[in-house]
Amino acid sequence: MIEVMLILFAPLIGGLMYGFERVLRARMQNRKGPPLLQPFYDMYKLLDKQAFIINPYHTVLGIMHFLTLWTVVAFMIFGQNLLYIIFLHLLSVIFIILAGFSVNSVYSHVGANRELLSALAYEPILIIVAVGFFMMHGSFDISVIRQNSASIVPLFLLFLAFLLLIPLKLKKSPFDAAEAHQEIVGGVEIEFSGVYFEFIYIAKWLEYVFVYLLLVLFAGNNAVLGTVLFLGVFLLVNLVDNATARIKMKHVIQIVLGIALTLGLLNLAGLSYV
Amino acid sequence: MFRKYRKKSPWILHYNAGSCNGCDIEILAALAPKYDLERFGVINTGNPKQSDIFLVTGPVTFRSRERLVELYTQMPEPKVVIALGSCTCTGGVFRDMYNVEDGIDRYIPVDVYVPGCAASPELLIDGVVKALEILEEKTKAIEKPFRLFKEASSENGIINRRHSALKVGEKDEED
Ligand code: SF4
Repeated sequence: MIEVMLILFAPLIGGLMYGFERVLRARMQNRKGPPLLQPFYDMYKLLDKQAFIINPYHTVLGIMHFLTLWTVVAFMIFGQNLLYIIFLHLLSVIFIILAGFSVNSVYSHVGANRELLSALAYEPILIIVAVGFFMMHGSFDISVIRQNSASIVPLFLLFLAFLLLIPLKLKKSPFDAAEAHQEIVGGVEIEFSGVYFEFIYIAKWLEYVFVYLLLVLFAGNNAVLGTVLFLGVFLLVNLVDNATARIKMKHVIQIVLGIALTLGLLNLAGLSYV
Repeated sequence: MFRKYRKKSPWILHYNAGSCNGCDIEILAALAPKYDLERFGVINTGNPKQSDIFLVTGPVTFRSRERLVELYTQMPEPKVVIALGSCTCTGGVFRDMYNVEDGIDRYIPVDVYVPGCAASPELLIDGVVKALEILEEKTKAIEKPFRLFKEASSENGIINRRHSALKVGEKDEED
């Protein structure tokens, strides 16, 4: 029962996280920042706007992206197979990429291209993380991982690799070339408007929930460690976001595949010897 | 029902229709820590399809007028237009120059005029607050921009195009 409630409220939790992040970022820049519920105000406002449909596929793919992502989060909360979740998540990313390519806008194409490249960069690492959990606990099931004790110490290199992924996945500096509001105006989301943009907007919140749910898996059944990890990483990611500038997509891939993949493979090799 | 939330999350599209950049710097100043427009939920989106407030600076040069109208028509209703700076309202220091169209209200319906050369951030904030009041009243009915001016006529030696203005959708006899 509590799981069903959690799943239903997952977008709201993500929205609160996003609102809190905006306040936090503003405070870091010595500003006051918007109210905590600002994302929800935006959401209500978008409901009341006129919506343009570029073509039906574009709109439907956008909604599919949102629904798949919600399913991914639901499966995570239910404690299903991690590998399956990662591939389902890839499917949701593919939907948004296809939506980006289905319109004629150049920015949308560039955004979709970059989204594809970043999927290329983070997907192997997500799989390696899953393999690392399998080697530790002997199962891909999230419910099993949650029951065992924390695995952050033996998987520390993988944890570092995963840290590198978070800005890429949440589109934060320095890895935000896929969204890049100042140059390609949001990339894939540029042609969505009104209620249809709403789905993309909420999908962004769900992405937060997805990433941080993956993160707390490193803490296993240790709730205190989980909270500490979540808060620490949340602060760290926003600090890095405020303090760095955007880098090119090419360098993103080089850094992520070069450093994170090496770290992950080293960790796996170490695990198989122990 | 959702009308009251319009006021709480105005997203701005800023377009520079050939301004001298003085007013654009003031916009940045308004977004920066001292005035911090984001505390009212203002975001500078840069994407016409997701914005509510069209913030224009500059006197509309001959080259920028088509983009101005295009951006205006790409914004979903309800929307408001703010003309920021003297030159955007009336042409200001650029008035009656051969390459300048003397203010954006010859092309698109303007809701709020913010004077000043350059307009100060305080005035800009007042303008945005006024615009939000108007935004709350608006419906989703479509407002039409004016048609691009065609032939220039010369009158006492001053060239202008304002006599050949038509609204978009109005019957054009010559075509
Ligand atoms: S009003 Fe003055 S400062 Fe502002 S853009 Fe026009 S000329 Fe520049």
